[in-house]
Amino acid sequence: MRRIQFAIKHNIGTKYIFELLAKEYPRNEKHQVRIHRQYLDSFDWRMHQNSYVCGTDDNDAVKNFFLEKSETGECVYTLPLSETPKFSQDIPHAKCRRLLEGILEIRALIGAASVTIRQRQLLILDNQHKTLIRLHVESYTIPGCTGLQAIPGRLMVFPVRGYKKVLHGVVQYISEQLRLSPVETNLLDEILVVIGKVPAPAALDVTKKLSGSLNTWQAAQILFSDLLNVMQANEQGLRDAIDTEFLHDYRVALRRTRSLLTQIKHLFPSKELEYFKQEFYWLGLITSPTRDLDVYLLKFDNYDKVLPVALRDDLVPFRQFLRRHWKAEHTRLCEALNSKRYRKLIREWKRILQRRSIQSPQTFNAKNPAKQVANQRILKLYRKVLKEGGAIAPESPDEDLHELRKTCKKFRYLMEFFQSYYPSDQIKRLIKNLKMLQDNLGDFQDLCVQTQQLSDFAQQMQDEGLVDTKTIMAMGVLVQNLVTRKETVRRHFSERFKEFSSAERVMEFKTAFSCANTLEGAPA
Amino acid sequence: MKIIACYNIKGGIGKTATTVNLAYLASQEGAKTLVWDLDPQGAASFYFRIKPKVKKGGKGLLTGKKELDDVIKGTDFENLDLVPADFSYRNLDLELDDFKNADKQIRKLLKPLRQEYDYVFLDCPPSVSLVSENILVAADIIMVPTIPTTLSLRTLDQIIEFCKKIGIAQSKILMFFSMVDIRKKLHKEILEIPAKNIKALKTSIPYASDVEKMGLHRQPAPVFASQSRSVKAYQALWHETKRYMAEDVRGE
Repeated sequence: MRRIQFAIKHNIGTKYIFELLAKEYPRNEKHQVRIHRQYLDSFDWRMHQNSYVCGTDDNDAVKNFFLEKSETGECVYTLPLSETPKFSQDIPHAKCRRLLEGILEIRALIGAASVTIRQRQLLILDNQHKTLIRLHVESYTIPGCTGLQAIPGRLMVFPVRGYKKVLHGVVQYISEQLRLSPVETNLLDEILVVIGKVPAPAALDVTKKLSGSLNTWQAAQILFSDLLNVMQANEQGLRDAIDTEFLHDYRVALRRTRSLLTQIKHLFPSKELEYFKQEFYWLGLITSPTRDLDVYLLKFDNYDKVLPVALRDDLVPFRQFLRRHWKAEHTRLCEALNSKRYRKLIREWKRILQRRSIQSPQTFNAKNPAKQVANQRILKLYRKVLKEGGAIAPESPDEDLHELRKTCKKFRYLMEFFQSYYPSDQIKRLIKNLKMLQDNLGDFQDLCVQTQQLSDFAQQMQDEGLVDTKTIMAMGVLVQNLVTRKETVRRHFSERFKEFSSAERVMEFKTAFSCANTLEGAPA
Repeated sequence: MKIIACYNIKGGIGKTATTVNLAYLASQEGAKTLVWDLDPQGAASFYFRIKPKVKKGGKGLLTGKKELDDVIKGTDFENLDLVPADFSYRNLDLELDDFKNADKQIRKLLKPLRQEYDYVFLDCPPSVSLVSENILVAADIIMVPTIPTTLSLRTLDQIIEFCKKIGIAQSKILMFFSMVDIRKKLHKEILEIPAKNIKALKTSIPYASDVEKMGLHRQPAPVFASQSRSVKAYQALWHETKRYMAEDVRGE
């Protein structure tokens, strides 16, 4: 049931309120407890964004996991747990786990805030000694915060189902006699304000409005700086391997940086451009092996499902192999992030991004209006996508689809970066349409890589002498399954591309980008 | 939502103690749990210190004048609620008889609660009646506490026969021995005989004063005797029951 909360001002004191309540309701039972509460959320605040609050309450005797609705304070689940859960699958209660799975997906729960609660409990009883309502008078201490920052205490009223009259009476007494006012804000939100945390995801806001008056360098500065912020925000999490999304988001921001760096021409002096292209490419290379292994480990349960039950145990050595190699690659990645080379790259990049303007014949685009430069580039990439896609026939090599996938990615990034320059509905539709094509190309590429890499892994495991015939056979079944899926995905390509390049879609593009006469080679 | 009925034709064999203790253990694992005290004697309500009174009685619930949801009372324990007994339940048989599909009315009443609760425990009156038939039809699992005596085993056969007659799948019935006194030769001998034609749980509940003291404390036994032999037996029984239900632990 929904609890009701009242604020207790500092000058009144929680003890005084508790004593008044105990006097008013003499048939009672009192308890006092100190609770260490840790609020949990994902790095990107998914719980908060979905209007849920979760965490653990530890009072030395028991640890409880709680999940409540942030707007109403209604407790959805309370369950005893010996350890703080990290992922949704650590929750034993099936319904609670499913709810968390839907919100968190593969993200981990990490500490969002903590507070020590001094809780005085008053159970109001009937003549049978049955609890009719629970009242908690709470005062809070936030670690590391001074008295000045202290948040007011609260009186929490927990109704017991089926005792409405008692609830009305108690609430009336609190409002009219104690003159306490109800509070609607969640305790976590108050704590976050005090500790100065903003529950907003550290991800690139692609919908950010770029002003129409910006020149290309100014627009690029904003975009590059945002991307660097995302990379840096995710760096610690990927080092600590909290969950796989830290590295994923880091790499997406890196890929976007590299794409923007090469797509907007004549923005950097050539020597500078070469340095950053080379160094960001290196950063891509050193982050790849860990990400690849992350993907295989994430897909492992699906691999299991593909195999007949009798063969599933045979894959265990493969999982162990992936874990062992992941550990080695992750160590290597952390070493690279600690290197002088990496520190220099980030330092230089920050320095460049703070530069006001560029005066050089090589960088003539820097002063041109961002909208004009973006428009030309988007148009060029669109033509390239249409050309490359139109040339793909059923017998074309896999590499052609791979090239098209890369072009689509660059095209998508540019459209997203500069979307505020175009009509919102139209650009969203175009991106959605492109995304459908990209999904097909992405799946195809994934399956190509997996097919090849699984065979390579099998060979590597044999070379390491850590595998038996059964495991190799099970991996063979997996490869066969991937090959079949790859063929299916490939068959769907022409249909997806046909939709992407239909006359209607091309017209939409022309309208959005006002480029009616420039789309030569478009199938429409 | 899983509906678990604790049923036997005989009285005084630990039905209510089993219902109350298992429901408490389920709720402490975080499962939303409801106990429906269908026995007009109201022993389960007594254990939870809740007045055995339902506004408009059993008839009110059956005729829809009162929703089951409206008569639920919260117990003193997190995640654990109760539909109290009512003296009018003694006439429930007659009232059920007036309905079309008279044997499915309890299941129908529980249907709206399926999203809210993980487990519903039905504490049944000791009888063979239309109420029992309703309970057996509604339940996903029928737990039959049985004292290891010849007469009790005979009663168990009668229950199996009754279930067969009204079309209840035998796989729903879970027998376990209750009030076992291992010092008694007969109890020991019967415990060693493998059950025929029925699923018998390995766990048995010992005859223990802690269970009797539930009436004194008016609380589930794990609350006041958490380390006792009987409570450990109830914990084992609950784990075994969950395994049998082959559901995800603490949630379905």
